Amino acid sequence: MIFSSIPFLYYFLPAVMLLYFLVPKALKNAVLLIFSLAFYGWGEPKLLLLMIFTILAFYLCGRRMVGAHKKVWLIVSLVTGLGLLGVFKYADFFIGSVNSLTGLSLPLLKLALPVGISFYTFQCISYVVDIYRGTVPPQRNLITFGAYVSLFPQLIAGPIVRYADVARELESRESTWEDTFSGCRRFLVGLGKKVILADQFALLIRLFRESGEKSVLFYWVYAFAFLLNIYFDFSGYSDMAIGLGRIFGFHFIENFDYPYLSKSVTEFWRRWHMSLGRWFRDYVYIPMGGNRVSRGRWVFNILTVWMLTGAWHGAAWNFVLWGLVFAILLMAEKWCKALEKLPGFLRHGYVLLAVTLSFVLFNADGLSGAAADFAGLFGGGGLPLTTKVTWYYLRSYALLFLLGIVGATPLPRNLGLRLEKTRAGTAASLVLMVFLLLICTAYLVDGSFSPFLYFRF
Amino acid sequence: MKKICTVILIALWGTLAVLSWCLPAKDISQSERRPLAQRPECSAEALVSGEYMEDFEDYALDQFPFREGFRQLKALFHYYALGQKDNNGIYLAKGYAVKQEYPLNEASVDHFLERMNALYEKYLTGCSVTMAIVPDKGCYLAQDSGQLQLSYDALKTKIVQGMPWADHVDLTDSLSYEDYYRTDTHWRQERLIPAAETLAEALGVTAPRLEDYTQTALARPFYGVYYGQAALPMASETLYLLESEKLDACRVYDWETGKYGSIYDLEKGKNARDPYDVYLSGAKGLLTIENPNAGTDRELIVFRDSFGSSMVPLLVGDYKTVTLVDVRYIRMELLGQFLDIKDQDVLLLYSTLVLNQSKAIG
Repeated sequence: MIFSSIPFLYYFLPAVMLLYFLVPKALKNAVLLIFSLAFYGWGEPKLLLLMIFTILAFYLCGRRMVGAHKKVWLIVSLVTGLGLLGVFKYADFFIGSVNSLTGLSLPLLKLALPVGISFYTFQCISYVVDIYRGTVPPQRNLITFGAYVSLFPQLIAGPIVRYADVARELESRESTWEDTFSGCRRFLVGLGKKVILADQFALLIRLFRESGEKSVLFYWVYAFAFLLNIYFDFSGYSDMAIGLGRIFGFHFIENFDYPYLSKSVTEFWRRWHMSLGRWFRDYVYIPMGGNRVSRGRWVFNILTVWMLTGAWHGAAWNFVLWGLVFAILLMAEKWCKALEKLPGFLRHGYVLLAVTLSFVLFNADGLSGAAADFAGLFGGGGLPLTTKVTWYYLRSYALLFLLGIVGATPLPRNLGLRLEKTRAGTAASLVLMVFLLLICTAYLVDGSFSPFLYFRF
Repeated sequence: MKKICTVILIALWGTLAVLSWCLPAKDISQSERRPLAQRPECSAEALVSGEYMEDFEDYALDQFPFREGFRQLKALFHYYALGQKDNNGIYLAKGYAVKQEYPLNEASVDHFLERMNALYEKYLTGCSVTMAIVPDKGCYLAQDSGQLQLSYDALKTKIVQGMPWADHVDLTDSLSYEDYYRTDTHWRQERLIPAAETLAEALGVTAPRLEDYTQTALARPFYGVYYGQAALPMASETLYLLESEKLDACRVYDWETGKYGSIYDLEKGKNARDPYDVYLSGAKGLLTIENPNAGTDRELIVFRDSFGSSMVPLLVGDYKTVTLVDVRYIRMELLGQFLDIKDQDVLLLYSTLVLNQSKAIG
């Protein structure tokens, strides 16, 4: 099930809210666990067993991580979690790569990728590592732990919520009117980002892919559309997750902070998918020594972390390369200080160009697809500069691009915050929320939804 | 204040949810002319396979309260507020809803040519064959409204070159966008006399004259197929029939049911999902019109799509029989079992819409 669907908005969510707020405090986590499993099972009935196994495995390992055998159980849990991730997500990638390199014909496993496996595996790993480090005590209550792992707001596309961040709220939390109001607003803003912006850019991308009359300009329109599509898709989902969490009394960490305003790639990664960056920093980069090592070792650390970051996004070489491109840019920025001396607009332009091109690689159909897309962007193969089809779609999407550009800046949020201080502003917020609910419903009823991009991770 | 706002929002949200759960399911969508999904049966097998969830999502979408209103809200927002040039592939130009037919589907046209050549080789070698493409209204409206439209000239050239055994008739100058319904794909029978004249001239028969017919309006308001697809607010239209004593005397034999009917099926005009079915009963694989008052013994066979239903009555005049074949509903290979095709006049009348999506022609 996805948030931007009629069954979620008008069947699942009202049912879970009704029951959640009716039952006594002691049963609230049980309600969340049952509904979260139903939420997961709705889309992946067969893989529900995998989710339950993961919960049980990490719960038991966590409980046993006391005393002398702490490290053993940490290793058992890591092998279990990463093993499942490896088998379900990366096995065919490795087999395919081995086949390509050696000319062998090893059969592929062709296993279905469990939705959200990268997210919940990383959450579980953070849990056991934090226990091992002594940062948090093991959770004694299986229902509470199950609710943490399977919590439907952030189950399938993040943010990656570490156990330590919500441990206190898992035990005891309050749902206030203030939280419900801001949670609903945040959810509906996210829904609007997803349905009105991301899905429409996704449609343009599909039209581009299907078009037989491509041009250099059309390739750039596509690249820019994907830049906005992925941002509104993913940040919209994060907004919805954070909003839902707040309705149920959780305060999840932020995942995006207007990344396209960045003036360096380093800054971009402080603003983009912040929960993933924080996870890799705390559980991979720093344990490897971080930057307090020799230069050679530091380069190795950076390359490893970014290769893993790339591979986390998808089991294909273009994702690995995508991560490595960022590793190189980050190292270049660290060593070469020339960027800092450039005027702001040039630095901003550099980041937008680098990120746009990186997403072309990200969204390509493998490395050969990426090569074809880059050739198209730079006029390879005698492609015309423009065609009437390109201009048609540019005209048709002009307003949406404008909305997307404004929406990627803090302008709407700042306006909302300023308005919120007055009673009229609160009423205006209500009007906006009703408008978003109705318009998004209208789009969904018309049947134009598309799955979240980050589902595949 | 925030508490009041939250209560109002949740009340609205909850009301829609309760209506979703409780309202009785509707059977069909009139505007889209299709059956609506019903609540699926819940079984362990359907749950494990995920089939129940998929069917439930279809059901939830189809049975959502105020669905038509929401579709219209989306269309208005999408088309006017976001400035999109089309909604679900339909755009408005000069008050007409037009389907964006673009680009020219070369593979589809090739398929059509392959099937028509097979038809010619099997049945039509002794016949005088006339081919006419029915342009869609986008042919007249797309350019001025900055829309994408397949190249009609390229389509025509491809058809002419691919069917060298036929005489090709160009209908574009005999029609204008006003000859089509605003909300539908089809042309208006009462405005087809110039196009019918062009076809009659090519077939070598007496051209119809408007004064020979009485124009009768169908009482039922007509909302065409684009009305439902576009979901944009448009007024209803009126279907007109061109009636005459000669047409009244004609009998129409339906080879599928083995029954006789009339040129205009008023029952279907009144009750069918698509009132356009009033013309020769709509989608039919094989029909023969018997004209007791024909001026000659000539016979005509028309291979056609739905546009032919309203045009053929205007061409009946001189012909003793007119047989209409829709090869989307009857296999071409079976025709010999029903028809003795020797030296009849043959008209191939196909719209750009079918030529560009000809998969259904078997």
